[in-house]
Amino acid sequence: MRRNAKWLSAARIGLYAFLVISAAFFLLPLYVMLVTSLKGMPEIREGNMLSLPHAPTVAAWVKAWSSACTGLSCNGIQVGFLNSLKILFPSVTMSIAVGAVTGYALSLWRPRGAAWLFGILMAVAFVPYQVFLFPLVRMFSYVGLNSSLPGIIVVHTIFGLPTMTLIFRNYFAGIPLELIKAARVDGAGFWRIFGAIMLPMAVPIIVVAIILQVTGIWNDFIFGLVFAGRENFPMTVQLNNIVNSTQGEREYNVDMAATILTALVPLGVYFISGRWFVRGIAAGAVKG
Amino acid sequence: MTGVSVSSLTKAYGALRVLHDIDLDVQPGEFTVLLGPSGCGKSTLLSAIAGLDEIDGGTITIAGEDVTEREPSQRGIAMVFQSYALYPTMTVRGNMSFGLRVKRLSAAEIASRVAWAADLLQLTALLERKPGQLSGGQRQRVAIGRALVQRARLFLFDEPLSNLDAKLRTEMRVEIKKLHKELGMTIVYVTHDQIEAMTLATRIAVMRGGKIEQYAAPDELYERPATLFVAGFVGAPAMNFLPGIVRAGHVEIDSLSLPLDRVAVAGPVADGTKVILGVRPEHIGLADDGAPGVVVEAATDFLEPMGADTLGWFSVGRHRISARLAPQRARSVSGLVRLALDLRHASLFDADSECRY
Repeated sequence: MRRNAKWLSAARIGLYAFLVISAAFFLLPLYVMLVTSLKGMPEIREGNMLSLPHAPTVAAWVKAWSSACTGLSCNGIQVGFLNSLKILFPSVTMSIAVGAVTGYALSLWRPRGAAWLFGILMAVAFVPYQVFLFPLVRMFSYVGLNSSLPGIIVVHTIFGLPTMTLIFRNYFAGIPLELIKAARVDGAGFWRIFGAIMLPMAVPIIVVAIILQVTGIWNDFIFGLVFAGRENFPMTVQLNNIVNSTQGEREYNVDMAATILTALVPLGVYFISGRWFVRGIAAGAVKG
Repeated sequence: MTGVSVSSLTKAYGALRVLHDIDLDVQPGEFTVLLGPSGCGKSTLLSAIAGLDEIDGGTITIAGEDVTEREPSQRGIAMVFQSYALYPTMTVRGNMSFGLRVKRLSAAEIASRVAWAADLLQLTALLERKPGQLSGGQRQRVAIGRALVQRARLFLFDEPLSNLDAKLRTEMRVEIKKLHKELGMTIVYVTHDQIEAMTLATRIAVMRGGKIEQYAAPDELYERPATLFVAGFVGAPAMNFLPGIVRAGHVEIDSLSLPLDRVAVAGPVADGTKVILGVRPEHIGLADDGAPGVVVEAATDFLEPMGADTLGWFSVGRHRISARLAPQRARSVSGLVRLALDLRHASLFDADSECRY
């Protein structure tokens, strides 16, 4: 008993040491970003990255938000923020709505080769997106969807589909078949069963899906760059334009502020949804 | 009122045939129990009647209408499932009214039907609760209530009591029987529990391997089982089986020779036929106490007190048989005894076909 307790406490010490070191490892860059964003350029030139700002100022934040230059226009990253929201809401809604319906339909359909089929579907989720870029651009140009808001929304919906379908299918497949039989005897059809019985039961997995899709779509860069069009560039693309603009002196404080602003939405999702997010990662293990 | 008629129904999963040419006729108001061990096809047959499983051949008629091709909701049925299958996100009221809302009944009609069923099943106080907040017995009553509000022509029960503990099962059994008596609906009820079947049914269909072995009233089934399987499956403690050969009007079981003329058989049995004699434990008594029947010598093996009576196990030659004895009398039973086998109530089966003579 005593030996056991000793061993346990040694393991505890090791565990905490590991946690503290990893926390420091991940928090240090954030700390550097925060203090740098609050400094003026003269202070940054002194070169002491870790020091606290002598005279903290939010000037860099204001500039990053409202007047930093992204390419030719100088309206700050707020334009990108609004664009990202315009892309985010319809994309998340559509991909989850379609994924929930397809997952529900597939959960009812249990053919002999189901395991194979879903294996293939899972593998599709791993295919690098880059492979599809050129054919998709050609197809979208053909139907007039290229470089438009609907275009980028359709792209996010399509690429969210394998993962969304799988997590919904797996969730619905765990619901007892007798429930669906009872609903059939009650006279409910495909859509009624979905809307009145399955969807209300799926709230936990919908939350997981929202977390996955919000962070995934918000962090997307390449689809936004390729399919959204100049007018609708999301925040990530605008951020890149600010940070990588080559004219004049590099304003590290503005870059840092813009970066933190861009990261704020997924960061907020992490903090608000903590417990759910872990489940999201587990459920989305197929996403790679 | 509504009868059900199933004729030459077949069903297969791939190469595996689970129902062979089933014929079943349920009279209006009848309580038919499908009884059998797991895997005998009883639940599949019920699903087929409900329309939840597709069938490969045959027809199903409910209230004189051919419903073989109809959706479950078009068959005028209500069903209670083993797992209750309550909608977990809806209240008790929501569960009971769901089917009525789907059918677009008026709000007043829905409210009055739910109130009626809730009152009948003592669920009124629980109407606004979710299934998760109910006990097993309460959930079962909600599931029955959900079926009752349908005012269906035919009620189907799929092992409704098997998830309940023994005491609750007995209570619910009585409640279901009472409902049937009061409302007089036609019921087809699946169970593997022979006591449930015996107590509830007006007729029992005993199934094995996708076939109906016997379809008869409980008394008939118990007293005159049509096959060896039915004889062994129905009745607890089980019927005693003694294998023997017919010779000169007697059944010869090892060194025993029991007169065949005492056994109620339909016709003459040819000499040399291998048979199995079935005697229920309650038809074996102690000859010294004046129990009627053919007397055989037996050695006492052990006694099993069961409360109301004691089951005595005895060796007769190579065979072990059980007899139902009065508990007080059984206490003094030991060593060699003379048992009386009342052959008037015995059954005689052909050893090869396993059918009753």
